Amino acid sequence: MILRTPPPRKRRADSELRESPPDSNRGLVIYEDPPASVPDSAYDPPEQMLCTYQCRQMVKSDFLDTFSSNETLLREYESKLQTMNEDLCKTEAERKKYHDQFLYAEQELAAARGREQALQDQLLKEVNESQEQLRKQMHLYNELEVKFQKEMNMRKTAESSAASAVERANLLETQHSHLSGVTEREDKRVQEELLQLKEESKLSVSRIRADLEIMECKAHHAEKESALLKEQLEELRKQLSESLQQRNELEKKLTSFTASQDPSSTVSSVLVKHLQEELRSYESEVLQARKLKTSHENIELLKEKLMEEKGHRERAEAKLLKLPELQLSMKKLEDELLSWKKLAEDIPWVSKPEDIPLKFAALQKDMIESEIKLGEVNARLKQIEVALESAELSKQNAEAEASVTKEKAELVGLEVKHLESKLSLAIEEIDQLRNAFTGLKKQNKDDTGDEMSNGSLIKELESSLARKDCYIKELETTLHEQRDTNNRQFTEIGLLNEKLNGEAKRVKSLEREADRLRSEISLLELKLGHGDYSSANTKVLRMVNALGVDNEARQTIEALQSELQKANEKLQVVEELKKQSADAGELVESYISGKILHLKEQIATLEKREERYKTVFADKISVFRRACCELFGYKIVMDDQQRPNGIPITRFTLQSIYAQSDDEKLEFEYESGNTNILVNDYTSQHEISQQVEIFIRKLNSIPAFTANLTVESFNRQTLS
Amino acid sequence: MASRTVAKDVITLRGSAAIVSEFFGYAANSILYNRGVYPEESFVKVKKYGLPMLLTQDEGVKSFIANLTAQLSEWLEAGKLQRIVLVIMSRATNEVLERWNFSIETDSEVVEKGVSREKSDKEIMREIQAIMRQVASSITYLPCLDEPCVFDVLAYTDKDVAVPFAWTESDPKLIANPQMVKLHSFDTKIHKVDTLVSYKIDEWDEQ
Repeated sequence: MILRTPPPRKRRADSELRESPPDSNRGLVIYEDPPASVPDSAYDPPEQMLCTYQCRQMVKSDFLDTFSSNETLLREYESKLQTMNEDLCKTEAERKKYHDQFLYAEQELAAARGREQALQDQLLKEVNESQEQLRKQMHLYNELEVKFQKEMNMRKTAESSAASAVERANLLETQHSHLSGVTEREDKRVQEELLQLKEESKLSVSRIRADLEIMECKAHHAEKESALLKEQLEELRKQLSESLQQRNELEKKLTSFTASQDPSSTVSSVLVKHLQEELRSYESEVLQARKLKTSHENIELLKEKLMEEKGHRERAEAKLLKLPELQLSMKKLEDELLSWKKLAEDIPWVSKPEDIPLKFAALQKDMIESEIKLGEVNARLKQIEVALESAELSKQNAEAEASVTKEKAELVGLEVKHLESKLSLAIEEIDQLRNAFTGLKKQNKDDTGDEMSNGSLIKELESSLARKDCYIKELETTLHEQRDTNNRQFTEIGLLNEKLNGEAKRVKSLEREADRLRSEISLLELKLGHGDYSSANTKVLRMVNALGVDNEARQTIEALQSELQKANEKLQVVEELKKQSADAGELVESYISGKILHLKEQIATLEKREERYKTVFADKISVFRRACCELFGYKIVMDDQQRPNGIPITRFTLQSIYAQSDDEKLEFEYESGNTNILVNDYTSQHEISQQVEIFIRKLNSIPAFTANLTVESFNRQTLS
Repeated sequence: MASRTVAKDVITLRGSAAIVSEFFGYAANSILYNRGVYPEESFVKVKKYGLPMLLTQDEGVKSFIANLTAQLSEWLEAGKLQRIVLVIMSRATNEVLERWNFSIETDSEVVEKGVSREKSDKEIMREIQAIMRQVASSITYLPCLDEPCVFDVLAYTDKDVAVPFAWTESDPKLIANPQMVKLHSFDTKIHKVDTLVSYKIDEWDEQ
């Protein structure tokens, strides 16, 4: 079989055919020598398949047919190309549009970046602010810590002062013990001295006794000596008198000799010499005698001394008797000393008894001061604790906020990274698209007729566009989400700030409230301690029979009780008497009758006396009345009456001695020191009532009124 | 004390009232001794609250305190007593020199419903002992009573309490601008007693 017509060509063959238009223009193609440029070996006719003329005609017609068909095809292709070109234009427009969109998206991206940057800046600012707040809080915390440290230091100093006080106390105690040791030693010393003194006194007593004995012996000796000396003295006196006599005699002899024996002067001179010698010897004897006299006087002095010594001895003996008493008093003093020592030991920090009241006062003051200080320190400590707690709370809040903001910042950073990666992806995509676009352009330039590649490119472009759309949508949604989250974070931050402010305000108000309550509590405690109470639901009672307070009442009660006892005793006595009277009625009757007679006699005498008094009184009162009448010009009638309510009153009726009628009477009522004029016909007369008004009511003087009335009626009577 | 229940840690209203009134009797005796209102030799030593306590032998004071504690326990059982005040006054001028305040808070639930509470006897005694020690030590800071003094007892009661025969309404006998020292308190879980002493400031101290 001969294959006459070539099989329908594929698209590729068409393109090849299109690619080689000069061949088609050549016209006939002889199958014997096909062009070598025809690459398709499938259409190479075999050598045995060479056509005849007919065949050539047929081929020609075929060719023409194919040519025409190819032409139609070409037209179609051209139209297709046109449509493709149009499509390309459209795609270019679309591309432009997409490019614009892309640019727009880029702008939006840039804007988003800017916003993101702004947000980041804001967040950074916030983070910085929060860090600053944190720093401030830390600073505050540090300050508070410093304060706390100071307080602790103060407390330590207070403790150290307390410790020093304790040390001082210990020191004082040691001093006290030392002093007590000293006093004990002194006491021992005193006792030793006492013993020594006792021994010394004993010794001195014995010594004095020995001395006394010696002195007595001496005195005896002296007495003996004095007696001997007296004897010697008397002998010497005798000798002296003898010698004097001899001397006189000798003198006489001498005178006689001088008178009678002048020649024998030599003998006499010898004699004189002899006599002078004797005289000298006598003189020496006289001196001896004088010495003896002085010794005698000395003996007397010694005797006196002896007497004195005896007195001393007696006194010493008396003192020796007093010694046990002194010892007793000393023991008492020692006991007292011991008791004082114990007291001093009981009271710390006291060395001298004079220190005790001072120490008490100082201790009281110290205690009060320390209590006040303690209260202040406690209050301050509490305040600081409260402040510290609030600061710690705020610090914790700030830390929590900071951590939250950090987390948010990290989240935001992650999101930003995510967005950046997305952005890089989009950029890559854009680059790819650009590359593709440039490639497409080239292809368009190179081969506008390459529809297959165009279609694929278009598809790729479409798919990439779709992907880009998706990306853009994703980006938009992520941007929206980001905005939403940012907004939410902003609102949250705002809310948190508001809450923080509110909490701060609340803390402050609570602190104020706490201060107020503290002051109120202290006031109430003060009032309560003072003893105040609300009278609405409390009343104060006290026991009536309080001791001491009602001492007087108790005394009166005791007095009354004693009186009651006495009355009871009397009653008993009376009752006993009654009993006795029942027994001894007759005796009593006789006694009573006697008594009655005696009493009757007394009554009679008393009645007589009364009568006498009455008459005397009547006489006297009449004299008095008359005298009153004469002196004051009024007759006074006194009348005792009683009011309906039983009060006694006295009515005085005065009538002037110059009265012109009996109706001219003045009536007065006298009641417990007050005298009032009564209105009657006379006093109700115009003149009299005027006078009553002036003198009694206004000037409050009844005597002036009566005197004036007396003068007026006297004038009237005398003038008429 | 006699009315305390057998179980040691359970305390009834009557028991609590007995403890408080007895405490007040001993406290009054201690104050009268320590402040020298009555002579030292009119007191004898007894052991109470783990301490040597002093009780007066003056018949008048004894009967006064006995009547007082009886009345106080009656009020305490009714939950009508708010405060007891021992007032020390000058005998010559009747000026109030010291006020020993014993504020009493009563658990109203116990009074109304008659329920009991739980607190060990030992713990209450320990608390009372602390107060007694403070009363004894108060002479170190209270001003000297260097004139003859008398004492009086005031009871702050509810308004609706009928005034007993031996009692009469009184003024609170306050001290103007007093110095105050708060002492320990004790709590029977039914009655809480706060002790406070207020006294006239010594002029010598102020100088």
